[in-house]
Amino acid sequence: MKLKFSLKDVADIAEHDEGALDLLKKRLLAASAVVLFFLIVIVLRLWILQINDGEEYEKRAYGNRVRIRQVAPPRGHILDRNGKEIVTNRPSFNVALIQEDSHDLSNVLKRLAPVLDMGVSELWEKIREASDTPKYVPVMLKEDIDWQTLAYLENHNHEFSGIRTEVQPVRVYHYEDLAANIIGYLGSISKKELESADRDIYTGGDIIGKKGLEKEREEDLRGEKGFSYSEVDARGFEQQLLKAVEPLPGREIRLTLDVDLQQIAESYMMAGEKSGAVVVMEVKTGRLLAAVSEPTIHINDFVGGISVKKWQELLDNPKHPLINKVVQATYPPGSTYKMVAALAGLATGVIDENTVFYCPGHYSFGNRIYRCWRHSGHGPVNLIKALSESCDVYFYQVGQRVGVDRLAEYANKLGLGLKTGVEMEYEKAGLTPTRAWKERYRKAKWQDGETLSVVIGQGFNLVTPLQLCVMTATLANGGKLYRPQLVEQVTDPEGKVVENFSPELVNEITGFDRYFKLIRKGMEGVVQGKHGTARSVAIDGLTIAGKTGTAQVVRLAQYRNLKEEDIPYKYRDHAWFTCYAPAEDPEIAVTVLVEHGLHGGSGAGPIARAVLNQYFSGRLNQTGQKQGATEVPSADE
Amino acid sequence: MFRIDRRLFEHFDMVLMLLIFLICTMAFFNLYSASFPPKGYGMPPYIRQGYFFLMGFAAFVFIVSFDYQELHSWNYPFYVLTILLLLFAFVAGHEAGGAQRWINLGFFKLQPSEPAKLMLVVTLASYYSRKEINDGYAIKDLVMPIVLTGIPFVLILLEPDLGTALMLGIIFVSMTVFVKLRMSTYLIMGSLGIGAILFAWESLLKPYQKQRIATFLNPEQDPMGHGYQVLQSKIAVGSGGRFGKGYMEGTQGHLHFLPERHTDFAFSVWGEEWGFAGSVIFIGIYFLLLLWGLYVAMYAKDRFGVLLAYGVVMLIFWQAVINLFMVMGFLPVVGIPLPLVSYGGSSLLTTMLGLGLLMNVRMRRFPNSMGRGE
Repeated sequence: MKLKFSLKDVADIAEHDEGALDLLKKRLLAASAVVLFFLIVIVLRLWILQINDGEEYEKRAYGNRVRIRQVAPPRGHILDRNGKEIVTNRPSFNVALIQEDSHDLSNVLKRLAPVLDMGVSELWEKIREASDTPKYVPVMLKEDIDWQTLAYLENHNHEFSGIRTEVQPVRVYHYEDLAANIIGYLGSISKKELESADRDIYTGGDIIGKKGLEKEREEDLRGEKGFSYSEVDARGFEQQLLKAVEPLPGREIRLTLDVDLQQIAESYMMAGEKSGAVVVMEVKTGRLLAAVSEPTIHINDFVGGISVKKWQELLDNPKHPLINKVVQATYPPGSTYKMVAALAGLATGVIDENTVFYCPGHYSFGNRIYRCWRHSGHGPVNLIKALSESCDVYFYQVGQRVGVDRLAEYANKLGLGLKTGVEMEYEKAGLTPTRAWKERYRKAKWQDGETLSVVIGQGFNLVTPLQLCVMTATLANGGKLYRPQLVEQVTDPEGKVVENFSPELVNEITGFDRYFKLIRKGMEGVVQGKHGTARSVAIDGLTIAGKTGTAQVVRLAQYRNLKEEDIPYKYRDHAWFTCYAPAEDPEIAVTVLVEHGLHGGSGAGPIARAVLNQYFSGRLNQTGQKQGATEVPSADE
Repeated sequence: MFRIDRRLFEHFDMVLMLLIFLICTMAFFNLYSASFPPKGYGMPPYIRQGYFFLMGFAAFVFIVSFDYQELHSWNYPFYVLTILLLLFAFVAGHEAGGAQRWINLGFFKLQPSEPAKLMLVVTLASYYSRKEINDGYAIKDLVMPIVLTGIPFVLILLEPDLGTALMLGIIFVSMTVFVKLRMSTYLIMGSLGIGAILFAWESLLKPYQKQRIATFLNPEQDPMGHGYQVLQSKIAVGSGGRFGKGYMEGTQGHLHFLPERHTDFAFSVWGEEWGFAGSVIFIGIYFLLLLWGLYVAMYAKDRFGVLLAYGVVMLIFWQAVINLFMVMGFLPVVGIPLPLVSYGGSSLLTTMLGLGLLMNVRMRRFPNSMGRGE
């Protein structure tokens, strides 16, 4: 092959082939036709894309660039009755992944893991857990990162495609565990909760009230989510904010609780590492001023989700910190039930104020002997003395005459055996046994001897501390049974009051004023009387009326002769003390239950005394009377 | 050295020049928009491309300055040089996306496969113009062109750059079909071609190339993966509507939804910002240039001039059609730029050289206007 031609050869060829050149030029027309054809095809295609389907693509372009992001609203604050902040919010910065926006995820996670001080596998696990949520929903990788981590991530955000930091309000507990079991805690919405939730309001990953008031008042507290519409690029980096709908904070709830009273009660319970409950209620309204359940959960353990280990510890704790003992635990009322017996006896005409029974220290019924707690006996006893000194024999007589069904009837009138309707979840109704109840549930006939156990508050009887407090208040106010309430006021973010406290009368016992007066006189003797069972509770300058109670846990022969301190903790009796003050014009009722606290007067009394001291402190100071609690062990049942 | 004929200036084609200038201007402004928002490091692509435009015009002037007939003698040295560059790129080239395509020249990364396209046009034009057979080419007459095409084809295929290799094949077919072939040659070439395509699909295509073709057939199936580019490009063009979103107002491009928006997908930026009206004007001017190129071929003074002009037009035409089809979702992503419009120095310089040849043929369309270099 000749590689080089002289220009002369080329010129020769050119002149030689005029015919062939014409052929090529004809073919150029064909080539022009091909070019025109493709021009038409391209213009038609443009027509279809831009004119025909233009609107459709415009929508897609808009959706492409706009990301809608939820902004969590600050939850409503929770205050005490005087406006002291119990629970408020602070911002928490969380790290989340938007899978849709992330590219090169495995490398991003490798870089991210050391920044968050987490393992790569830990991060993958979180992503796997969220595998069935849509790709545009953020997957929470770590909550509540510190400022340094936040600053690093913000400065290096281009290294972490699809990763973003979000701010979310979290709870701040100003008094730590104060009323923790009543206020409750928050947690991520579970799959099950999400299924039954309103999908317009809740989405996966939302934080909702899980326990206590946070759960009961979720609707008030949650507020409304905000949304932000921002333009993002294909790598998920936000370019500019297009539109923002500010979140609406939740409503503020002012509780009826009084932080000072609550704290005093809690500190007294905690000081003795006691397990139990304290309830303080306004006698004439049903406002709960304190509601203590001890030991309590540690509320900060629940912020950002409780660890499995801590949860297991709570479950294993023999003192059951997860149970709100104010309403979720029931105990035999012990001698506090004698007020019920007294009312039933008086109302049915079995006894009157002059009725006297002789107490030799024991009572024979059938082929059994029922003992009075004072083995030497009380001698001749009338109603006032029977209550003040808690004579068992007197009430055996009453119980035998009244019968178990009528006892139950009056117990119910005073609120026992029925839920109080307080805003606390899983409230128990307790139990006021009747013949019909035993036949139905125990498949056995009622034994008359059992009535004698019931009348002194043992046997099948079960009450919650709150029920006993309500009963005490009802006796104190002359028969008005109020629903105990926790919420004083609910205010929306604009300051408008959307709910205000008003007393709710559940039941009013009329025509019994005389009987109530008698019972109250007996109760006054318990604290103020020379031989009262709770003389140690007395406060100078204040007239207190109350009743002690001892709830037997077991009745075992092997412990009968042991000293109380030698009985194993879990077999020791529960201690009750319920009271109201001032006796002349009752304001508050205080009920204390100390599990395995042995005796009402010594085990539960000092706590009630401390609460009363606190509540009446201003007025007591004026008369210069204020005393510390002193225990007088001899003044017991 | 050169005796410059005064008639050269008289025959300078103002229409061709104006069309080139219009397209380059639109391309530059489009690239400015496609470069936004700036990356914050390095020289913005529109400035680099500005330099390439200047270099391109210099190359254009250079190519115009000597008679295209000279290419008969320079053809093979250039051919060998191009093959050597391809070999060098293959052995020691700059890797990008798993393919060795570039030779780093410091100020600019040369993609030898781009000039190879033009080289093939010139080589085939030269060969077909020298070897005239009145009753048409027999298959044995095509052995040489096939070998001349095959060497760079295989080298580029091995880089691997399927799109550019196919471009060489398309140039070969366009130019071979253009000259007179015997019927038997058509039949043999046709069946060989079909066989080659089947063989290529079975054994030569890399998985990612097959994936691209599969995705093209069903792009919605994997919108975040391989179908993403095509889908986003269609959204960009389609959302332009009648009159577009306005210059610099395109959201698809500026928000990075469009991948490679300043290179292969430059036209989708134009489509989004200028809409149907602007697109039709742009495509109209672009195709006017191509048709004008064929008009140049029509009035070339000799067979070489016709073949050169025709070849250059076909080179630009097929790249434009493939690129636009890709941008508008008619073809899979094959990595073919839109000549003059897509960012890239190698492609722009090659195209400007080609257009220079076109002007050269135009200016020397009269039989005795040859500049004599000897």
